[in-house]
Amino acid sequence: MNTHIVKTYGEELDQLSAEVVLMGGLAEAQVADAVEAVARRDVALAQSVVVRDQKLDELEKDIERKCIRLIALRQPMAADLRKTVAAMKIATSLERTGDLAKNIAKRSMVIAEAEPMSPLTRSIERMGKLVSSRLRDVLDAYKSGKLDMAMAVWSSDTEVDEHYNALFRELLTYMMGDPRTISACTHILFMAKNLERIGDHATNMAEHIHYEITGEDYVEDRPKSSTF
Amino acid sequence: MDNRILTHASVLYLPHSDYIDGGMAHKPRKIRGYFPLSVATGIIVLIVLAIVAPQAPWLIWVALAVLATCAFAMNRDIERAKRDAKPAPVATEPVRVQPEGPSFQEVLRAIPDPVMIVSGVEPNDIAGRWIIFANTAAREEFHITGENGLLVSSLRNPEVLEAVDEALFGGIRRDTVFETSGAQDKFWRAWTSPLPVREGARRLSLLVLRDETDIRRIERMRADFLANASHELRTPLASLTGFIETLRGHAKDDIKARDKFLNIMAAQADRMGRLIHDLLSLSRIEMNEHVPPSGEADLSLAARDVMDSLSILAQEKGVSLTFTGPAPGSHPLIADRDQILQVVQNLSDNALKYAPRGSQIELEILTDRTLEQAIAARDPSASKLVLLRPDRRDDFYTVIRVKDHGPGIRREFLPRLAERFYRVEGQKSGDKLGTGLGLAIVKHIINRHRGGLVVESVALPSTTDKDLLAYDLPDTVTIPSDNLITYTAFSAYFPQPRRPKA
Repeated sequence: MNTHIVKTYGEELDQLSAEVVLMGGLAEAQVADAVEAVARRDVALAQSVVVRDQKLDELEKDIERKCIRLIALRQPMAADLRKTVAAMKIATSLERTGDLAKNIAKRSMVIAEAEPMSPLTRSIERMGKLVSSRLRDVLDAYKSGKLDMAMAVWSSDTEVDEHYNALFRELLTYMMGDPRTISACTHILFMAKNLERIGDHATNMAEHIHYEITGEDYVEDRPKSSTF
Repeated sequence: MDNRILTHASVLYLPHSDYIDGGMAHKPRKIRGYFPLSVATGIIVLIVLAIVAPQAPWLIWVALAVLATCAFAMNRDIERAKRDAKPAPVATEPVRVQPEGPSFQEVLRAIPDPVMIVSGVEPNDIAGRWIIFANTAAREEFHITGENGLLVSSLRNPEVLEAVDEALFGGIRRDTVFETSGAQDKFWRAWTSPLPVREGARRLSLLVLRDETDIRRIERMRADFLANASHELRTPLASLTGFIETLRGHAKDDIKARDKFLNIMAAQADRMGRLIHDLLSLSRIEMNEHVPPSGEADLSLAARDVMDSLSILAQEKGVSLTFTGPAPGSHPLIADRDQILQVVQNLSDNALKYAPRGSQIELEILTDRTLEQAIAARDPSASKLVLLRPDRRDDFYTVIRVKDHGPGIRREFLPRLAERFYRVEGQKSGDKLGTGLGLAIVKHIINRHRGGLVVESVALPSTTDKDLLAYDLPDTVTIPSDNLITYTAFSAYFPQPRRPKA
């Protein structure tokens, strides 16, 4: 796995990426649960998502502390330094992902009080599934150090954008049809935007993985369809 | 070289607890590697010092004594850490079920459910849980390679990790349900239970998993079927009841109206029948979606069969069918024959529905494509969307592409295409109304075969939307409509079992 003579150093590095993966698992579950809370109008689940977000924040701080300690004590070079820096950056992205999931959960509590709008929440569910799969792929790529897998995530972000645009149109039609749905629709629109942002974070993480493995920034223009 | 010594030096002055932390070495043998090296380097330096600066030899002796103490302390710590970190003491002679029978480890390996034994030392070190044993099923299902791996790199569901921690440090038995998503969702139930440890700081826990996908799928299928059937059958049923009322009432003696109504009723009943048929086959396909197909099928053969069966209908509509591809039998797939046939059939049915009179439907089979080639857009000006992509990549794929020159589908409608009962706004599918399940069935079948589905389309730019909405999608292709050739092309790709001949 690593070829450091001082074993504890190598282990500290492994431990660091293990903690990032752990944090990733938590963020993944947060997104999945938040989306499920929307689909099933489950207020209790939404609340648990909001509460659990703190754990993500703590983990992020912990990882950051460990990275700084590692840099200070071990003066990592080359691949080790990249690994450390990537861990720190990915942790930040994951923390942001968690915040967005928390926001979705909070909004789901509001729309749970209104009339059910199943076609729209189904769209959110579908988009959530897509974003979750993106998150899963990027974490799998990080865990196994597979560059092509990370790049596949990076290049397929347009699908999320596409879904977002479709949902945006759908929402507009809804709101024009019945102004009473405007408040709920606005919440759903923000949820969709949050999911789209989570997708962007996944692509950012893919870029960090690219940096960690190759040492180069990914400069190519990301395929992007514009969203609102 | 300098760097290495520096690192050694810093290790020497770190507090002892650090070794114990790191003592969870999964390969503790390596610790020994640097230990004599650092001492040897120290002694060489001291000897050189003794030769160069002999004025104060006592200083060297003091330094040597300090070095020896350090080495002794380090050795002790390493021994202790090694004792803690060593994988569960494997008896040289494994305990056997019967004197001549298999060992208990071999028995565990043969269990079809994934079984793992997890170890952990410190409750606070949340990522430091190691898999010290995993049976064959666990290795396959959770991609565990090598001997001692971190638990979190195989299984990162927070609830399961929590349950493992509770078993390790709280001694609590529990079961948790979780889901691993992918192209195929899987539902698992995980049992965690503490294992007795005789000595040392290490704790052990058993983790047994069971695949409950089947049970959950049956539940979900039943609920989905009821919801879909009751919702979708309501409309034709209402129209049937309406006509029956009318026929009983004032249309009783009107022969002309009666004939007309009976025709409509027959069409509605027919639609209900088709709907039930499609719903049932969709349910069946969904049930088996996580079971990989066995058997052999050939896309060219399927395409030929479908073209034969559609030829009369196509002739009536004045549409011609063309086929390009390899000869039947040259590129067999590992697939369910009937399902492959259904994919081609549904895609061609769709094409035929939207193809205008006098146009052409093109069926094309391409072999030996890489995943990128299979997904790549053929025409840069068309809007393209991947409706399904496999979560595992194979080396080569066989692609079947069905293209019709119908009105096309605008980009904003593409994402929802394979959804059940979804209908593109304002699109007329001719006199014979579909059930809205055709593409959903196609998608599920392809997913079972671990393939993918891509749609490409060129459609007339929208006119009504611009008045309706205050914005215009910047991506919409605006080509003068008089020379715009609209079309829709679905490409389904399946993993190819054979490598192409080099």
